[in-house]
Amino acid sequence: MELIREPIRVAVVFGPGRQIKPVWFEWRRRKHAIQQTTYTWTDRVGDDTRLHFSVSDGEALFELVYSTARQNWELLNLQTE
Amino acid sequence: MTRSIIHLDMNAFFASVEQQANPELKGKPIAVVGASHRTVITTASYEARAFGVKTGMAIWEGKRACPELIIVKGDNKKYTHTSSRITAMLREYTPLVEVFSIDEAFLDVTHSQALYGPAETIAYQLKARIRHELGLTCSIGIAPNKLLAKLASDMKKPDGLTVIPPDRVGEILERLPVGDLCGVGKRLQKQLALYCNVHTCGELGRADEGMLTRRFGIIGKRLKEMGQGLDDSPVVPVEEEEQVKSVGHSMTLPRDVESRDDILKRLLQLSEMVGRRARRYGLAGKTLSVQVRLGDFFSNFQKQTTLSTPINLSDDIYQTAVRVFDSMGIDQPIRLLGISLSNLYEHEGQQISLFESDRKKEQLTRAMDAVNNKLGDFKVTFGSLLDEKEKGSHVISPAWKPEGIRNVGVT
Repeated sequence: MELIREPIRVAVVFGPGRQIKPVWFEWRRRKHAIQQTTYTWTDRVGDDTRLHFSVSDGEALFELVYSTARQNWELLNLQTE
Repeated sequence: MTRSIIHLDMNAFFASVEQQANPELKGKPIAVVGASHRTVITTASYEARAFGVKTGMAIWEGKRACPELIIVKGDNKKYTHTSSRITAMLREYTPLVEVFSIDEAFLDVTHSQALYGPAETIAYQLKARIRHELGLTCSIGIAPNKLLAKLASDMKKPDGLTVIPPDRVGEILERLPVGDLCGVGKRLQKQLALYCNVHTCGELGRADEGMLTRRFGIIGKRLKEMGQGLDDSPVVPVEEEEQVKSVGHSMTLPRDVESRDDILKRLLQLSEMVGRRARRYGLAGKTLSVQVRLGDFFSNFQKQTTLSTPINLSDDIYQTAVRVFDSMGIDQPIRLLGISLSNLYEHEGQQISLFESDRKKEQLTRAMDAVNNKLGDFKVTFGSLLDEKEKGSHVISPAWKPEGIRNVGVT
């Protein structure tokens, strides 16, 4: 996994039962449609709860992170397949 | 009433989580390692285990056994989060859930069966839910007590479900090696064979209790009971656990450390970690203990000192730890360092210091804690730690529980 740590734009569907599903994201002016969310988890850094999503666009695996305190998204890690 | 105990054991937990998070790894031999340079394999996938790759092997040993081995850097937060989700699921079936480790738990479903059906039904539901919601497998054992339930879950891995009914206990234990019992390690197994001519659980259960007590002391009676499959220990939920009597941290260093500057930096880091934890829980301790393991991996030293007043400021812990360390007279390369505070007192309501320098130290500590509580550990720290690449703990403590510290015992 390569550490990236860059801000991104993300389109998300919020569903019942606390479902949060990222649908696409834009990184370095390229739009990536998410084909599969492979894993989700949360962690805490200080008072910030961060939601982690491991997602695939069919070409690579990305770790997207949503900071609930700062209400922004970043691309944390990337693994090309 | 005969109890109904479930033992749940996640299969190759860390590796399975990583294979689920990255589907490219599924079906491949992978080994999860820690973050340090010199590190060992913490878990291997079943595909890697087929090549002989084992927990505790160095990376080079793993690659020698399996040249195709894929090394994956561990992410403890992924595993602790997953474990918490599983624990929450287990608690839907019974409040009597004992988290044995990050990937194992006991459930007492004796009184849950009226609501959810037999223990086997509960077990199948848990397996199905864990597979469906997390994509992971587990092995489950069902038996009248914890000892046998854990034995049962070990019998089929991965993805097993084994029941030991009360009327088959003797038959199952008769030829089972004593080393298969939880609590009987290799050393005890050898001693039982050498001194008592006991090799199987059946032989252990029939052994003379007096002979076992003379050889092994107070545990002799317990050993005989284990051989008979007897265990009346309850499933203890985290809220009812025995009180924690100390607050401590230790770190295995990425390389052997010899220079005094390096050692002092590590002691400062540990002091900050212990201090923050103690302050978070409103505690201070009078007894400070320093643990040192040398680079040979076997020489282990520990020394402690008891102070006249309890402390929890990082600087006070550090100064005391350095004094204790210096008094140990160690001049060889060090592999592991640890600090712990015990003889704990509640800190709130302690007297305000008369000395301005002490009051300033307390104010600075409160300010640092406020920033680190908001932004994360070590966001503000001591200047000498700024260069350290790895601050904080990267190891999941064996004492980890989903909700953190519970029931800290104070004097």
